[in-house]
Amino acid sequence: MHFDTVAKYIRRSPYQSLSAALIMSLTFFTITIFGILTIFSIRFIAYFESRPQLTVFFKDTATKADIDSMQKSLENTGKTSSVTYVSKEQALKIYKQQNKSDPLLLDLVTSDILPASIEIQALQAEDLSSLASVVQKSPLVEEVVFQKDIVDTLISWTNAARRVGIAIIAILTTVSVLVIITIIGIRITVRREEIEIMKLIGASNWFIRAPFLMEGAFYGLVGSLVGGLSAIGIFYYFQPAIEVFLKGIAIFPLNPLILLELLLIEIIIACSLGAFASYMAVLRYLK
Amino acid sequence: MIVFRDVTKQYGGSEPVLDNVNFEIDKGAFVYLIGPTGSGKTTIFRLIIRDLLPSSGGINIGEWDLVNLPKSIIPTLRRKVGVIFQDLKLLMDRTVVENVMLPLQFSGTKEEEARKKAEEVLISVGLEGKIEKFPMQLSGGERQRVAIARALVFDPEVLLADEPTGNLDTQTSFQILDLLKSINKRGTTIFMATHNDRIIEKTSDRVIAIEHGKLIHDKKAAKKDSTEEKDDKKTKEAHETKTAGNPPAGEDDDKKKGSIKLESLAAKGDKANSK
Repeated sequence: MHFDTVAKYIRRSPYQSLSAALIMSLTFFTITIFGILTIFSIRFIAYFESRPQLTVFFKDTATKADIDSMQKSLENTGKTSSVTYVSKEQALKIYKQQNKSDPLLLDLVTSDILPASIEIQALQAEDLSSLASVVQKSPLVEEVVFQKDIVDTLISWTNAARRVGIAIIAILTTVSVLVIITIIGIRITVRREEIEIMKLIGASNWFIRAPFLMEGAFYGLVGSLVGGLSAIGIFYYFQPAIEVFLKGIAIFPLNPLILLELLLIEIIIACSLGAFASYMAVLRYLK
Repeated sequence: MIVFRDVTKQYGGSEPVLDNVNFEIDKGAFVYLIGPTGSGKTTIFRLIIRDLLPSSGGINIGEWDLVNLPKSIIPTLRRKVGVIFQDLKLLMDRTVVENVMLPLQFSGTKEEEARKKAEEVLISVGLEGKIEKFPMQLSGGERQRVAIARALVFDPEVLLADEPTGNLDTQTSFQILDLLKSINKRGTTIFMATHNDRIIEKTSDRVIAIEHGKLIHDKKAAKKDSTEEKDDKKTKEAHETKTAGNPPAGEDDDKKKGSIKLESLAAKGDKANSK
């Protein structure tokens, strides 16, 4: 009964329905894009967090003996959990592994231009500064890279992106809710007489409200399916290019189940949002 | 069944629409409510279905105290009290049967069952050939019958009829009146507002008169003796003979079907009473 009524409402004013479905689609397209980006950023940060906390790159003048003695002195501090030496040859191997699909990059690079390094994991994060100070004084050291700095920079970037995303989503969600309130409001106004008659002959409030709430939820369903599936389609289309761009950073593969979960959550949120917007309209126009 | 105790209804600071109105209507009665336009007849009906609340006084419908009735019970009340509205209030974009089955759907009756019941009621009011038509495709009398069918579909204990003959010619008015009488015979209390003097002149039923919101006259139902019944019959026969000779255009079929169904209703009513 209610499904028939909803179908009738939609059929009778298709442009209003289309605008409601489109704005919902746009909102959920954006939400899906930012959802995927959030998954990426979490994986991106997790990747960098799993890297050595401190990497010391040596100048070419540093010999293996110099490096060994520095490694020993670091271990003697008792603050490290692991200290790993990466020779120029090993560095080249890693580089080749990372760029195996690009022969041009492989041809130009030899082990000479890559620095030897040691990768340090501290027992406690607060000891990283004192460990760094041990090596920074040495004239053999070219550069000391704190992974924490990279992670912090990444976190601040992703947080900024997330804030922008949340702001855009908030604006689009508000617009979606307002559009649905307006459209359902128009529906109620147009059908005011019919609603009055139904009330007078014994319809309960919920019997009258149900088709409007279902219509709102329907726009949510359509919006989340169209928006979500479009964003996921675009993601799969660009996946090979993203993989090349982020080579070596273990973000892929992205399990399709994660995207399915994201879509299901969006459908639930969208339907609730649509029904909520309709309920607001019902409260406003159906007293 | 219906009790009005010192009921006053006033909008804002204006003159009261109803002023200290008192009456009681027994179960199964047929009562006319008369008065000029604007006298407060419709207000009384709106109070009975809790579309309005009285400014003061009390109203009871059966065991329900309408003044203190929770809002959630109002739909149930409106299913117990059928209403034939002055302007009919039919949904023009729904077919006749859809209009009649609508109240059943409110109460969660399955569509098939609701349709079956609606069709039965429509046939009983003489609309068997019009079930799938839209109200716009019907004559005034037929539309009135649709409104009656919709009011009857729940087998209400009380039927309020607000000027059900207001826009109809004399012949159709009497057909509608006969239909209401048949319904009354089945035990339904009928409270009918009218300003059709011809109906009132001939009636032996109770008549409540209202003017400027005040109850000015309450003529109790006269006990019919056999002579009066004979007179009534004669009057009716005279009326039927008079109108049958010159029926208004477009109302012939309506009238015939109406008469057939009225008889069947009356027969049903007699059976019910004998039980």
